[in-house]
Amino acid sequence: MNNWPFRSVLVANRGEIAVRILRTVQSLGLEGAIVYHAADRDSKAVRMADKAVEITGKTPVGAYLDGAQIIDAARRVGAGAIHPGYGFLSENAEFARAVAAAGIVFVGPTPEQIELMGDKVRARAFVADGGFPVAPSAIEDDDPATFVERARQVPLPLLIKPAAGGGGKGMRIVRSLDVLEAEIERARSEGQRYFGDGRLYVECYVENPRHIEVQVLGDTHGNVVHLYERECSVQRRFQKIVEETPSPALSAELRREICETAAGIARKAGYRNAGTVEFIFGNGVFYFLEMNTRLQVEHPVTEVITGKDLVHEQLRIAAGEALGYGQEDVRSEGHAIEFRIYAEDPARGFTPTTGPVLTLREPADTRVDSGISQGQEVTAAFDPMLAKLIVAGRDRADAIARAERALADYVLLGCRTNTAFLRRLIQHPAFVAGDVHTGFLDANPAIAAEPELKVDTLHALLGAGALVTRSLRDPADLVPSLHAAIGDWSN
Amino acid sequence: MFHAFKLDDNEYDLGLSRAAQGYRLHLGDKTVPVELHPQDDGSALLHIDGVRRRVFIATRGDDVFVHLDGAAYHLRYEHPLARLSHQAHGSADDSVRAPMPGSVVAHHVKAGDSVSRDQSVLVIESMKMETTLVAPRDGVVAEIVYAVGQTFERDAVLLALAPVGE
Amino acid sequence: MNRIESRLNTQSAEFQANAEHNRRLAAEFREKQERARHARPQRDVERLAAQNKMPVRERIKLLLDPGTPFLEFSSLAANEAYDGDVPGAGCVTGIGIVSGREVVINAGDPSVKGGAWYPLTVKKTVRALDIAIENRLPVVHLCDSAGGFLPLQAELFADKYYAGRIFRNQCILSKMGVQQVAVVLGHCTAGGAYVPGLSDYNVIVRGTGAIFLAGPPLVKAATGEEVSVDELGGCDMHTSVSGTADYPASSEEEAIAIARDIVGQFKRPQKSAIEWLPPEAPLYDPAELYGILPRDIKQQFDMREVIARLVDGSRFHEYQPNYGKTLICGYAHLWGYKIGILANNGVLFNDSALKGAHFIELCNQNRTPILFLQNITGFMVGREYERRGITKDGAKMIMAVSCSEVPKFTVMCHGSFGAGNYGMSGRAFDSRFLFSWPQSQISVMGAEQAANTLADVKIRQLARQGKQLGEADIAAIREPVLGEFKRKQSAYWSTSEIWDDGILDPVDTRNALGICLSAALNTPILDPRYGIFRM
Repeated sequence: MNNWPFRSVLVANRGEIAVRILRTVQSLGLEGAIVYHAADRDSKAVRMADKAVEITGKTPVGAYLDGAQIIDAARRVGAGAIHPGYGFLSENAEFARAVAAAGIVFVGPTPEQIELMGDKVRARAFVADGGFPVAPSAIEDDDPATFVERARQVPLPLLIKPAAGGGGKGMRIVRSLDVLEAEIERARSEGQRYFGDGRLYVECYVENPRHIEVQVLGDTHGNVVHLYERECSVQRRFQKIVEETPSPALSAELRREICETAAGIARKAGYRNAGTVEFIFGNGVFYFLEMNTRLQVEHPVTEVITGKDLVHEQLRIAAGEALGYGQEDVRSEGHAIEFRIYAEDPARGFTPTTGPVLTLREPADTRVDSGISQGQEVTAAFDPMLAKLIVAGRDRADAIARAERALADYVLLGCRTNTAFLRRLIQHPAFVAGDVHTGFLDANPAIAAEPELKVDTLHALLGAGALVTRSLRDPADLVPSLHAAIGDWSN
Repeated sequence: MFHAFKLDDNEYDLGLSRAAQGYRLHLGDKTVPVELHPQDDGSALLHIDGVRRRVFIATRGDDVFVHLDGAAYHLRYEHPLARLSHQAHGSADDSVRAPMPGSVVAHHVKAGDSVSRDQSVLVIESMKMETTLVAPRDGVVAEIVYAVGQTFERDAVLLALAPVGE
Repeated sequence: MNRIESRLNTQSAEFQANAEHNRRLAAEFREKQERARHARPQRDVERLAAQNKMPVRERIKLLLDPGTPFLEFSSLAANEAYDGDVPGAGCVTGIGIVSGREVVINAGDPSVKGGAWYPLTVKKTVRALDIAIENRLPVVHLCDSAGGFLPLQAELFADKYYAGRIFRNQCILSKMGVQQVAVVLGHCTAGGAYVPGLSDYNVIVRGTGAIFLAGPPLVKAATGEEVSVDELGGCDMHTSVSGTADYPASSEEEAIAIARDIVGQFKRPQKSAIEWLPPEAPLYDPAELYGILPRDIKQQFDMREVIARLVDGSRFHEYQPNYGKTLICGYAHLWGYKIGILANNGVLFNDSALKGAHFIELCNQNRTPILFLQNITGFMVGREYERRGITKDGAKMIMAVSCSEVPKFTVMCHGSFGAGNYGMSGRAFDSRFLFSWPQSQISVMGAEQAANTLADVKIRQLARQGKQLGEADIAAIREPVLGEFKRKQSAYWSTSEIWDDGILDPVDTRNALGICLSAALNTPILDPRYGIFRM
């Protein structure tokens, strides 16, 4: 595109995504501006930006949630557009409105679309209304008198959930209808006991569910395409760790079905800009879970197989340009896997880790979207995700082989990361077989455990440590060469 | 061979000596030849146990971080004097004595309290200067000998810790 | 420098017989040494353990840098004395590396009579400190002693080189600026208190270490005062009140670690510069030394063969190869250091004595340390030689040896008899280090000769009394004399009396000399100045 309606784009985010967005912005000849909290002053993104404005807040995170400051910063640097990245204010309809009201282009969907999909109940009803698959359920509140009867209609196995509940408490799985009423009673009394509220709802239970999501793009001219799916089943506490595309779980038929469902939902909403429709998949069926109205962390794998730069597409759409291509022009080639590198200690309950980035070496021939650089300090101020490693291969097996190499070659010294854990994960036979689901990691705690230290590894570590530690090295170097050569001898 | 590295929860004793070529790692009764050759790209070639590996090493203070065979490790160096002094116990450490004559200004602990090494236990005043006295080791206060306001001579036992093992 | 061409036939029966004999002697030596170092009565071992004390060799192991050599002196001191009850004379001395520095170790052995000082203990200690003085080596004392052995006090107290000399030597070391650190691991009583007292630094172990001029029993006897060991001279009193001790330690390990750290603070000496080339192992196998040394003390062998198995690359530059052939002189490198070698290939004649004196002068001019390899029965005797002035020529050689400024090292390879010992830098001539090989012998004259002489005296005496003696009677007089003589000329007797700095297995000689050479270079080499050479 030659005449952009904005000359400068302000990135209202930090870390790896800010770097990634700036990269595309600058490659298009646009000016990349950024806001930052003092804690990020020396970060890669801030150093990369053409203009940087400091923002303040009670906490570092608080600064990035201050919409007014951000809009003010955009005005000050003359930014004609704001890209919100993911997290922070990216799905904040009020912020989107305020940006528009300030005469600045918001790189994302309309505030109404944000609001619709942000309300999970509204979204679910909207999607069901369009005839798209949603998980069968029976909500007591809708009509308490008919609750049990409606519950019987929910396909087995089903999950009885307390309406006021959370954290897996009080949920009961029911696999046969003859125990349904008894279980409902028990669930009710537990709900009363734990949450002071005995109201329930019943949802179809997908055993060992897989998380499949579909990338969609819509322009301001009513065109909507999907850019195929991503599988994000390797999770821990609902946090994604590994994402890949194509999903090894889907037949070509199912793939087409899910993707077209997602596109259909987006079309029904008149969706504009980038978004992701998330589904839960199991036993050959899939149900709508939710829609995220922003660019997602794992978008790079889609970029790899489709050859598209999603941030570029987002900017074009925001500038009012038409997509210029149809669904049949969107090809998927090869296989891509993304690994989230976290500052955490998998062997010790995944506790977040901190420390200086004394050495950083990224593997060759691998896309690494990173927010950190050598010399930085990893602190507890922000999210522990440091970087994303994106590996491409001819097929899944090839991608996994390359991933093993890439993860081994990723060097970060000074702050513990999860790379060794990721290597063990992709070597697990279930992963290799493509047989993962969202409960996979919890079912295999051994993967997180550190393997026993081999003797030769121990020797190598102690040898390396000894040779770089002055208190050991200096006295050894002081020994005269005669005595060093004679060695351990006595008469 | 009083040096040690801590790796996670394990402590490993070791020594290092120089040979005619390279070095020797001393582990208990074992001696393992070892060499480390820094490379231009910031990595290093480590020769040990007959294997040559490419490693990355970074240090900060007594922390050594090593990237080896695709995994990162964190070693903490422990100096012999630090290790051996932590084993210190003894009759000298059963009491807090007055370094000079003076009077007691304040007590920070009372009999029966658990104290940790270097924790401040009382404040004395002498020659118009206040000095805070600390516990010589972890332990339990057995007796506070001088009350606030009382005066004492040099070397007087101001506070007694329960002997170790009691 | 050319390599020595060995003319040995290592397959010959002679060689094999020698080798078997000498290997056996070496094995016996090692076995004796092993026992002297480690065999202790069970109750002494238990007593040490009960006192929470480490055996002396474990203390030394912790003290020394890993992967470095330890040259021990006089491991078999007192092996022929005190009924063999005091192995090693109750102490361990030697040169080792601590925190990268060459130091002399002087360690009491509490597993031998509580570490009591016997006369030979004192002599061994004085010798270790003399070595420290002559070679400017810092000293680490590991003190643990019950004090002087009272029954033999007359042999260890009053004389010039008895116990007092230890403390005098400590003062001289300090005066010279050579550092000492003492680690008090047991009681330092009476004189023994001066070892830490005169050391520049000292460390004391809480509980087991104590320093006092008199212990509690003596104090009670002297003044009636009752006081505990700790109160009288323990760690806390001396480190915080009297200031006699510098560093308190709560364990032996900690004390030794502190001592290592202290030595790590010592400034390193400046080494005298002498010629040096990168070291090279001898071309010939040092194990062949066993086959070279004859089984019979009277039998000759070619010292060149010995040199070839000691020096770098077996290279040797021989001086005056055609003159004075009973004394081999020449230059070589040993562990890289350039040295001059004088080695006996027969008795000393006028020409060999002159050659020796001349060569010693050359070495001094060249600042080349000298190694003496002794196998000498003496100077040539007889009218022709006296007329040629053999006494004068021997005197010149002895003068050159005595006035030599370069470091000297002596190895008793085989025989060392009579004045030949002197000309070849025997004990009295201040070699920095002197070692004996297991089969070596040292006495004023050969045993047979001496036995005959002494027996003759007795026989003539009896004859004057009118007694006629048969073969058996003569043998009965001669044999005990011979036996006694042989006992007192053996390497074991010599080492027991500390006439040497230890017996060496011949194959260990190269390493030992290398270590000695390195240690000797801490002292500056002065310009030579000689007395009068009787011309």
